[in-house]
Amino acid sequence: MASVKINIPSYMRSSVNDSKEVKVSGNTVGECFNDLIAQFPDTKKHLFNKNGGLYEYIIISVNGESAYPEQLDKKVKKGDELGVVMIIGGG
Amino acid sequence: MLTADELDRYGRQIMLRGFGEEGQEKLKKARVVIAGGGGLGSPVAIYLAAAGVGMIRIIDHDRVELSNLNRQILHWDEDIGRRKIDSASEKLKKLNWKIEVEAIEETIAVANVSHLVGDFDLIVDAMDNLPTRYLLNKAAIEKNIPFFHGAVYGFEGRTMTVIPGKTACIKCVYHGASTPGGKFPVIGATPAIIGCIQAMEVIKYIVGIGELITDRLLTFDGFNMKFAEFKVKKDPNCEDCGHLGGK
Repeated sequence: MASVKINIPSYMRSSVNDSKEVKVSGNTVGECFNDLIAQFPDTKKHLFNKNGGLYEYIIISVNGESAYPEQLDKKVKKGDELGVVMIIGGG
Repeated sequence: MLTADELDRYGRQIMLRGFGEEGQEKLKKARVVIAGGGGLGSPVAIYLAAAGVGMIRIIDHDRVELSNLNRQILHWDEDIGRRKIDSASEKLKKLNWKIEVEAIEETIAVANVSHLVGDFDLIVDAMDNLPTRYLLNKAAIEKNIPFFHGAVYGFEGRTMTVIPGKTACIKCVYHGASTPGGKFPVIGATPAIIGCIQAMEVIKYIVGIGELITDRLLTFDGFNMKFAEFKVKKDPNCEDCGHLGGK
């Protein structure tokens, strides 16, 4: 299992004791987020809908690049940094 | 040919390296359509008007409300109840009478988007919803018109520049995702920052200088005062621009 860092966006920080980043383990993006939720169950509501799918307005990055189209299935390696970007629509 | 008055008015930007009188002439000839005259549209329009963009078309279907005034700086107390396009065009003409401002009161939709933006050189996204952004993105690609995306929510902003056929479009990044509609929280300085970045991108593109925010989404977190970049690639399967090929 690779040790990976997830950078926590502002709107999720209240769910991780106001931390800016959380260290997780996993071989894929999905496994890393499962570990995040295991450590901080309140983060789940920010990421996954009632059916367990990733919210469509969430973009995941791996080392600053979009994880699309693999998203949760994208492989990660030790030292990778994951990011969560919320799509917004206001103007 | 610039007049003596224009050389004086725009002198500080004409001084910029790579800008010059030639750059100012390009701005004078440019035709820019701004879709939306609210939080983002206000700073975009103000700075493009001040910079001397020769023709600005501003499209909006709303009237000014009191709740707009914390962020939509083209509209003032005295404008409450007026059409935003009237309030906006009046201020822009007062700011710079040398430019042409065209105000269009329409709701951008599938049926009219091509007509509204098709004969312009650049399209600025100053909308308040994603579905209309996708319409504009598609029209921009179909008409081969550069598209300058911006969006805000709370203290957060996003911006990206799209050069059709060459760089990722917003569909490549957002894949048609939707967000909850309705009233959204926002502090006025957020659209001010994002709108000014959009205006800067427009000016650089027209003049032909600098580096654009292409193939990357610029994210702004005003709460923690951080900018970040998110690299994106042109999606060969993108329903809007995939058929154009490119990198």
